[in-house]
Amino acid sequence: MPKFREYLPNYLFVLPQVIFFVLFLAWPVFRGVQISLFDWKIMANTQRFIGIQNYLEVWRDPNWWRVLRNSLTFTVLVMSINTSLALMVALLIKQKFRGSAFMRAVFYLPSVLSVTVVGVIAFRVWDPQRGLLSYVWTGILGQAMVQWWTPNTEMMILVLTTVWWTFGFPMLIFLSGLHAIPNTVYEAASMDGAGAWQSFLRITLPLLTPTTLFVLSTQFMTHMQMFGQAYQLADGDQAQSVYVYLFITSWKYFRFGYAAALGVAVTVIIMLVTRLIFSLFGRRFEY
Amino acid sequence: MLDQPNFRTANQRQTILAWVILLPLVVLILAPMWHFLVYSFVPSRIQFDWPYQWLPLQPTLENFLRLFRDDSLPAARWFVNTVSVTLVGTTLVVLISSLSGYAFARLIFPGRDFLFYMLLIGLMVPTAVTLIPAFLLLRDVKLLDTHLALWLPALANAGGMFLLRQHFFSIPKELEDSARVDGAGRFRLYWQICMPLVQSSLVAQSILSFLFFWNDLFWPLIVLSDRDKLTLPVGILFMSFRGGMGVYFAAGVLSAIPAIIAYLVFQHRIVESVTAASLAGR
Repeated sequence: MPKFREYLPNYLFVLPQVIFFVLFLAWPVFRGVQISLFDWKIMANTQRFIGIQNYLEVWRDPNWWRVLRNSLTFTVLVMSINTSLALMVALLIKQKFRGSAFMRAVFYLPSVLSVTVVGVIAFRVWDPQRGLLSYVWTGILGQAMVQWWTPNTEMMILVLTTVWWTFGFPMLIFLSGLHAIPNTVYEAASMDGAGAWQSFLRITLPLLTPTTLFVLSTQFMTHMQMFGQAYQLADGDQAQSVYVYLFITSWKYFRFGYAAALGVAVTVIIMLVTRLIFSLFGRRFEY
Repeated sequence: MLDQPNFRTANQRQTILAWVILLPLVVLILAPMWHFLVYSFVPSRIQFDWPYQWLPLQPTLENFLRLFRDDSLPAARWFVNTVSVTLVGTTLVVLISSLSGYAFARLIFPGRDFLFYMLLIGLMVPTAVTLIPAFLLLRDVKLLDTHLALWLPALANAGGMFLLRQHFFSIPKELEDSARVDGAGRFRLYWQICMPLVQSSLVAQSILSFLFFWNDLFWPLIVLSDRDKLTLPVGILFMSFRGGMGVYFAAGVLSAIPAIIAYLVFQHRIVESVTAASLAGR
């Protein structure tokens, strides 16, 4: 390597990033898999190797299947509502009109709040006795009081709160995707006699496929990692999401080995499904 | 983004249609926020009384004053912590990701593509698997319950590098060449020639990092335990209804206002960075 001395200073530029990447991402991935093979206790000096027993326990753990089902239900509901709402709104404010910039600003506004603040707000919106919703329902509409918040509606409350909080992000992504489609395509289509609905189905949707894939995969990743909403709003020990379960297992019961196995399982599921979204939709459309 | 050539203006019928459909949505978004703001000025003891207040009937600052006086709820302390965590964290992220973003866009060295793809894959790994090892590592080096524990793991995320790399790519090579002829070294090329040209992306990344550090709950909840070291999102969770409903709201407002102001001031940069992120994602 003749010019190696030439190259050497270039590594200094990437060194800090790479060091932190190795310390806090790459190495922890391997370490996480390793810990999952031990009966890992935080205070012990030596840890007992138990092979795949943690994974067998995950497989037999009814709580794991319950939180996984909850997280998947939550994610699918939020994804479908968010994505369709975001696409609809983006189509409506794509063209400039009086107030379109204001609306775009408003729709993204909740996304800049922390999940804790969203929780504080949600408490008072859904409160069955004196919440904002009850005020509108009984005070303005004069209906009988309804118990909004029951174990059965808890999931829906989490979903709607999350949609309120997060749908601005996919909306912005769809907006930029829509703006990337040249108008000439639509003009050509309307000259050929295509109506609005037809050009939506035949032009907008297919040309938007890369954007939609990005929206779906990022949404899946984000919402499978849902923690704050469930931790703050729902009953703690009745964990409503895999991340809350993971948190309780490690930082309440200190079962690190088992929690590491849960973490590996969650990671594999998220990464597999994200890939799947791409291969499923990527094949069907040409772009 | 507003001035794109294919950005057409809607006609009157479309405008009315959009308003009719979207107005309820605007109300649904704003009403809970308004409620939240108003009730932070309503005394705790009448928080639950009728009539409902669309504007505070007897506006008071007592909730906010309580936050700064009550030692059992050191919200002023949390606020200061959050400010320092956010400022230092954002600076570190922007500095480190601009260095690596520049290198991956403009410099040549063996192993560059390999490192780049490693960082790319890293972006797709959920935190579930890294949480426990990162926590144990910080424990072993005695950094738990310090603010360094919030900054260091955040620097492993290469998202900022991708955003800035895109922009560094767009700088014409000739610009650097002529500076090089004048005898400028690598570091000067980066700092004096290229950094000023990517200012808009630096601002965009700063805002994203600002919002991340300002709002993050999960990781601070794991690594911080001393009450005086908490950041606002964790602190508010910890205080819950302890000080009364009004105080709880006031703390929430204290946390929300800086984020909202940053958003309103730098709105266009946020829109741009989100757009850039989606382009990079393709």
